[in-house]
Amino acid sequence: MAERPAIVSCVFYKDPIAAMHWLEKAFGFETTTLLTDADGNVGHAEMSFLDAPVGIGGEWAGPQLGGARMAAPADLGGAGTQFLRIELPEGLDDHCTRARAAGARITAEPEDQFYGARTYRAMDPEGHIWNFSQTVRVVSGDEMEAASGLKIRTSLEEV
Amino acid sequence: MDDRGRLPSIGPLIWYRDPQAAIAWLQAAFGFELRLVVEGDDGGVIHSELTFGDGYIMVVGPPREKAVSPAAWGGRSTQSVHVQLKAGLDEHCERARAAGAHVVREPATQPYGDRVYTCTDLEDHPWSFGQTVKVMSDGEVEQATGHRVTTKETTHG
Repeated sequence: MAERPAIVSCVFYKDPIAAMHWLEKAFGFETTTLLTDADGNVGHAEMSFLDAPVGIGGEWAGPQLGGARMAAPADLGGAGTQFLRIELPEGLDDHCTRARAAGARITAEPEDQFYGARTYRAMDPEGHIWNFSQTVRVVSGDEMEAASGLKIRTSLEEV
Repeated sequence: MDDRGRLPSIGPLIWYRDPQAAIAWLQAAFGFELRLVVEGDDGGVIHSELTFGDGYIMVVGPPREKAVSPAAWGGRSTQSVHVQLKAGLDEHCERARAAGAHVVREPATQPYGDRVYTCTDLEDHPWSFGQTVKVMSDGEVEQATGHRVTTKETTHG
């Protein structure tokens, strides 16, 4: 087994199997591991995109989580507590077209950003937000500050 | 800043009501390393990058539009982050606890061969930390957990 990457997110759905089918069709993810119990419920599932893993889980709560509860955005007024950012090597506009055709709601159309990326944002059928990005130009920190008027730091020590 | 190393293809963007406090806390409690912060005019954080091993997260906030902090929703979260350590899981847990993490499951070795602990952070985001202590085959995992394991290898040949 290959060494696990240091950081892997898990995304929670009311219907994780349906979500996995959709993620394959809309975004081109691949299912790599699926653990199911005797009733077919998902214990743990993992998908892969561009060699990076994403965990997929069902909604759950219980003593193992303490006071926490894992829920789809529908249970939080349609909002999410975390989003995923995915860096594409190329083909951002085509990826967006494919996602839209599969029923993704495009909440930000493909657009060039001041920091040198072209990005779009999509919402999946259960309300999770996915940010796709492709580097189109290398921009220095000074250039970014000049273009945006924002402060850019590499530590909090000066704050 | 042009010589920043390449980041993995996928990284989580985590929403906090007080992102500056979160950035300081995640360094102290979990050992993340800050490499970039982009601040808005209002003291908010528009973008940041904190690395751990070969992985990274982005801490942003305060939440807007389709984003919320779990602290505002009674601990409900739509995603969680798992961090895989190479060594020192129990010490990592003690460091996190000392910094104020709420440890939900104490370090324990799981049937699938990893030692794992879970906790919530200063705004109730859920985290799990793991370290492989025994490398197991899919067959061994099925026997140990009672779950059926389907992988790309078993599906496609």
